[in-house]
Amino acid sequence: MSHAALLASALEGTTVLECGDARSEFAGLLLASLGASVIRLEGRHGSHSRHVGPFTTPEPNLEHSLCFSRYNLGKRSVTLEVDHPAARAAFERLAQNADIILDGGEAAAVARRAELYRTLRASHPRLIVCTVTPFGLDGPYCDLKMTNLTHLAFGGVMASCGYDPGPDGVYDTPPIAPGMWQAYHIACEYAVIAITAALNFRDLAEEGDFIDLSIHEAVSTCTEVAIPTWIYNQALVHRQTGRHAAEGRSRPWLRRTRDGRYVKAFMFWSGRERRVIAEMMTEAGIEHDLNSDAYRALVERSPSEAGAHFSAMIDRMCASMTAEEIFHRAQAKGLLWASVRYPEENLEDPHFQARGTFQPIAHPEIGRSMHYPVSVATDGRDRVTAFERGAPRLGEHTREVLSQAGFSPQAIADLTAAGAL
Amino acid sequence: MAEAQRPKRRPLEGVRVIDLTKIVAGPNATRILATMGAEVIRVEWHDQRALDLLRMVRPHAPGGDSESLNRSGLFNNINPGKYGATLNLSLPQGRDLLKRLVATAAVLCENYSPSQMESWGLGYDALRAINPGLIYLQITGMGKSGTYKSYLSVGPTAQGLSGLTHMSGLPEPMPPAGWGYSYLDHSTGYYGAMLAMAALIKRRRTGQGCYIDVSQTEVGILTSGTATLEAQLTGQPTARFGNRAQTGNWAPHGAYPCRGMDEWIAIAIQSDEQWRALIAAIGAPAWTADPRFATAEGRKANEDELDRVLAESTRGEERYDLMKRLQDRGIPGAIVQNAADRCERDQQLKARGYFVPLPHSEIGTWPIENFPAKFATMPVNVGGLPGRGAPTMGEDNDYVYGTLLGLPPEEIATLKEEWVI
Repeated sequence: MSHAALLASALEGTTVLECGDARSEFAGLLLASLGASVIRLEGRHGSHSRHVGPFTTPEPNLEHSLCFSRYNLGKRSVTLEVDHPAARAAFERLAQNADIILDGGEAAAVARRAELYRTLRASHPRLIVCTVTPFGLDGPYCDLKMTNLTHLAFGGVMASCGYDPGPDGVYDTPPIAPGMWQAYHIACEYAVIAITAALNFRDLAEEGDFIDLSIHEAVSTCTEVAIPTWIYNQALVHRQTGRHAAEGRSRPWLRRTRDGRYVKAFMFWSGRERRVIAEMMTEAGIEHDLNSDAYRALVERSPSEAGAHFSAMIDRMCASMTAEEIFHRAQAKGLLWASVRYPEENLEDPHFQARGTFQPIAHPEIGRSMHYPVSVATDGRDRVTAFERGAPRLGEHTREVLSQAGFSPQAIADLTAAGAL
Repeated sequence: MAEAQRPKRRPLEGVRVIDLTKIVAGPNATRILATMGAEVIRVEWHDQRALDLLRMVRPHAPGGDSESLNRSGLFNNINPGKYGATLNLSLPQGRDLLKRLVATAAVLCENYSPSQMESWGLGYDALRAINPGLIYLQITGMGKSGTYKSYLSVGPTAQGLSGLTHMSGLPEPMPPAGWGYSYLDHSTGYYGAMLAMAALIKRRRTGQGCYIDVSQTEVGILTSGTATLEAQLTGQPTARFGNRAQTGNWAPHGAYPCRGMDEWIAIAIQSDEQWRALIAAIGAPAWTADPRFATAEGRKANEDELDRVLAESTRGEERYDLMKRLQDRGIPGAIVQNAADRCERDQQLKARGYFVPLPHSEIGTWPIENFPAKFATMPVNVGGLPGRGAPTMGEDNDYVYGTLLGLPPEEIATLKEEWVI
């Protein structure tokens, strides 16, 4: 078995019941990517993400949401109404055969279900429960209403992201929440870390765990130098355009290119970097004075002015080439630069094609496949991926899953009649 | 000892990790493994290839020797719970010692330049010959295969190439705001940790180790949400939306100024009910009666004007007071917390034990950010096995070379004299 196949089947034989809303869906996806059998319990009206666009069809349709399909590849869908009293016995039976319950949502809703989960753990001690809620299940803020945007604000990410202030140091643009559901991504990554740790623990200790994950804490851990800067220096970092927030102002990283795009010219401003950039300018036919005695004298006299001059020369060089040209030329020189790409530009990039970064997933409703990023790793040759199918249709696996759990057709019909399905 | 009093087993009990990582992405992965109870041994040296530059990055703990490699607060926050050993891998004796350590380990994690380990004769194939069950986790910017396999990258590089930089910020003609820190250093570490723990589960079942090639840029691509899918669907390049909702008619949805210097509140209105509650919370100023804002569609269609007038209403508000009024009415609203807010005023982080005081051998006891979840059963400790913050350079040489490898004190002394350890 290849190493990629080993990893893609690492959680083979592990069954996950995924309840709740979209907050924990990415965690279910990541578990599925490692070979777990993930059953999405989403109720008759479907997961919240089914109602979120973009849609593949002109009108919103809960079977055609790209948001849902993105976060639910490889899962099975069961329309069990977990909160309905008539569903309790069915849920308990599914849970008895499950290894993991994953539940994301507001604390009040999850806490109600958590009582049941604790009861289940008493009779099924190997069960692992992971709840993903805005602030965890306790604490003074646990009932606050939150979204991805407000998490990125309250957790500190936005305080570090945005644009330079004006010359007077006053910001006339707001802090920025980076695109997509990054608060939920971070929380779900931690949820899967906690779950894989618990699976290791279960191998040793023969018991599961109850994991109470806080999205707020997860986001808070992910702000790099901001917290240490306060703890050790009692200072704040200040957001800057296209580069790291810092106590003081740093030189730009984003440079406009000939094709109207940007290159991210990340630098430590080392002597080697300066030397190879001067070489790049020479090779590109850009007139420069960076090897002149006059420039060396400026460096001696005023490093700040010299740095500004050097930076202006980088701007000039970048303006003479396309972003992709600069990216490859700079990397050939060992510079840590990259073109600022649209995410979809990587679909056609030979590097990512060679690595199998994107996997085609059929979309019958539009008569073609779409290419999804499916994992972050290879084994040096093959992609680590376990997806044999795309996202499920609503309730596509209700009968299959309930039958496997021992429910007769009549019992399933009774559950439906009672409003549990 | 009575059964009830027996210490719980740690999730990664018995797992030794050789940690050849630098900066944040690799160290963050091994930080998590240490938190989960693995014995993580950081192996460092004083030359450019093996010295972690993070040791020199600000902020530094006040006082002490300004040239010390042991005073970085960021390094302390990223590397708690690990043992520290020095080892000169440029020397044959150093490489031999590393092989002896690897022979005892379950996991090796490294994020050197892509081919550095091979250049030392310490690539996966060489180490697998010593330890067939080894899990070799390699983290690089672009991945270890493909046309960019030799390209160099740090977090900002990967963020630029993956599309995450482009997707963060106000719409054109504003430039991207990007991320104000190395987001992909954090999240790549998360994937490294979860994949290593998944591989450990598989190894327990099969006895097989594996090689894992994690690409930082692919982490960015995976977390680009639905962007690549929507672009495939529409043929249109991915746009930036600032803080606005990307789909649906959610408005207002953004960050609005409050009283004070650079103080903001994020508000996300998702329904007519919340809109009416917002009007009440801000005292029903006259502009809220504007018929253009009467419906969700109208608010979305007139979002520029809506944001402008809402900002005028929030500008004089004390941010915590406004947040409370919003939350009291069930509105997702949260201030943009900076690091001082989170460290000094966030009662939830305090209540949940987010900051853990840990001793450090040179700089004393400092707060370290905890794992963002509570566990009912597993002992999970950010201080790891040594129960402390980050190791000083070579702090545990005697333990690693004496206790673990069984070298006599005189041999350890000779190795130190010969600049091997």
